[in-house]
Amino acid sequence: MEQQVATSPHALPPAEASAGRRGSRLSGLTQYAGFIPALVLYGLFFLVPLGLIVAYSFWQTVDYEVVHKWTIDNYRYFFSVPTYIRTMWATLWVALAATAITLLLAFPLVYWLVRYVRRSLRTFLLVLIVVPFWTSYLLRVYSWLNILGEGGAINRFLLWTGVTDKPVSFFLYDRPAVILVLVYLYFPFAALTLYASLEKFDWNQYKAALDLGAAPPKALLRIVLPQMKAGIVTAVIFVFIPILGEYLTPQLVGGTRGVMIGNLVVNFFSGAQYTRGAAASLLIAALIVVLLVIFRKSLEVEDTYRA
Amino acid sequence: MSLTEGRLTRADLLKLGGAGALGLTFAGPAFGRVLSPQATTMTMLTWSDHYANDQLAAVAKATGLQGRPTLFSDNADAFLKIKQTGSQFDVVSADGLWVPKYVKSGLTEPFDLSSLPASKQLFSIARQFPFWKSGSNYMAYPFSWSTVQIYYNPKYVKTKPDSWHAILDKKYAGKISLENIPTDMMAIAGRATGAKKPYDMTKPQISRAKQYLKGLKPNVLKLASQNNEVVRALADESAWIGITNLGTDDRVKDAGGPVVKATYPKEGTVGFIDSESIVKASKHKDNWEKFINAMEQAPWIAKNFITNGRPLFNEAAYKLLVNQGHGDRARRLLYNKPELALKMTIKGPAGDQQAYIDAFNEVFGA
Repeated sequence: MEQQVATSPHALPPAEASAGRRGSRLSGLTQYAGFIPALVLYGLFFLVPLGLIVAYSFWQTVDYEVVHKWTIDNYRYFFSVPTYIRTMWATLWVALAATAITLLLAFPLVYWLVRYVRRSLRTFLLVLIVVPFWTSYLLRVYSWLNILGEGGAINRFLLWTGVTDKPVSFFLYDRPAVILVLVYLYFPFAALTLYASLEKFDWNQYKAALDLGAAPPKALLRIVLPQMKAGIVTAVIFVFIPILGEYLTPQLVGGTRGVMIGNLVVNFFSGAQYTRGAAASLLIAALIVVLLVIFRKSLEVEDTYRA
Repeated sequence: MSLTEGRLTRADLLKLGGAGALGLTFAGPAFGRVLSPQATTMTMLTWSDHYANDQLAAVAKATGLQGRPTLFSDNADAFLKIKQTGSQFDVVSADGLWVPKYVKSGLTEPFDLSSLPASKQLFSIARQFPFWKSGSNYMAYPFSWSTVQIYYNPKYVKTKPDSWHAILDKKYAGKISLENIPTDMMAIAGRATGAKKPYDMTKPQISRAKQYLKGLKPNVLKLASQNNEVVRALADESAWIGITNLGTDDRVKDAGGPVVKATYPKEGTVGFIDSESIVKASKHKDNWEKFINAMEQAPWIAKNFITNGRPLFNEAAYKLLVNQGHGDRARRLLYNKPELALKMTIKGPAGDQQAYIDAFNEVFGA
């Protein structure tokens, strides 16, 4: 209130009032100064490149030249060729399967950590979960070639135990291998997110449900999971969305049967077809935006037990 | 700033950050000078088999020119990179007919090959490729060459696959490994289906090449991102057949793998003659000859052959290899026959690159 009076033009001579207005405007602006680095970073390294990709997607490539002639041909092409639709569906299917398996594996581990492991040991186990991040992504994917390959650990074990008398080839270079490696790669994201969500849970509610006669699975389903909704949705975002853009894992362990849409996009860029590549990238981005909007709605958590 | 009170305001933080950034900006070059006195960086857009780290270090020590490589896989990718960010590179590697394309597009420039003392070490034929001549100048410094042929493991492949169509046999399902280079795979498919100019196919020819690749797809184990993955697949016997460069047999053996044999398809094949060029927009053009001259000395080239096992154009290096007891291997890999490089279909830009990539993706998509 005092500030309002002090900056009121009626309370000060005109020159001072004008200076006061400038000062107020300045102080109003300076409070946003902290945003400037983020704004510059976001603008320069996200919005500008995104704008360029959008422009490229509506241009043409003629004889290795990007011709600035507007067209929707790149988009028309994708929707007219069934291969891309099929590959997009395959990508969605892989992302969905990998996300579901990751969450199904992460939840019991997190549940066990939160409920049965003492706090001091919990930190150590959480560190173990993120240990894979200490090595490079590429190395982690490559290591699976040594596990799943014909001369890999699984085949050696099978040969050693006599289950088979020659190496089995179906562990590698197919969609299941891609899903398996993706689950391994994204497991820490899901586990840490679910842990953060479950750690805050008030277990008295769960006990109350048991006291009132609910079986443990039902209490878990009706009491625990609904309150973890935000954590689950966040875990899904952290796992599902990046998988949609994956290309290295299918490239290395997927073979020709495990191709995802990212691999085709890479072919466009390495073949200097930037305009086609830009359109394909934007289609994936558009799908991700749609999914994020859906997920965002799920994140608007309401009081589950409101009357 | 009220640090004595133990509190740092937002304004203080911004001021400190600004001061720090300014300090780093001014101090950076000074530190750079301390760490690398007078070193000029030569940025190279190249393949991983064109240099070795100890070679770059030795060249830097001898010339004060530190090579800094950036890798690419497909010529088309490199071409567009140079086009868009040319001045950031000093040296670009390119295959066969890509070289005149670079020159024609104003991205690289011809030079007097004889002004490089190292050029006297080259086979004479490598100094006279007609497609690299530009008046009295030459468009690129010749480096290495190889055909792309079929390597097979005789333990599993009993009949020598002497045709591109032989590898379509269903008994090779999931047993062929090849590199993911769409343009070249389309060209090979063009060769298989009788196209006279596999890098400049017409629409019906592209369609036939696509059909060939469709037939091949079930037999393809994986499209490798790097050549070493093809070698690895042959070495661990997950692949019985590899479509790859000369010298793969040795590399498979070096990787602890089985004996693999080479065969040349009767329809003919494609291959590369690669090189180093001067980027026209380079800021260090004056240093290019000095740098390349140091990089292309026979001892380094001989070492390169032992590591990568495909023929190069440096004749002095061949003589060195013979003297070192590697003559048999060099001859087996055609090092002493550079004239054969002109008998293959030399890699180059596709006439309709978009149609090539589209067709390839339509085959190898899900």
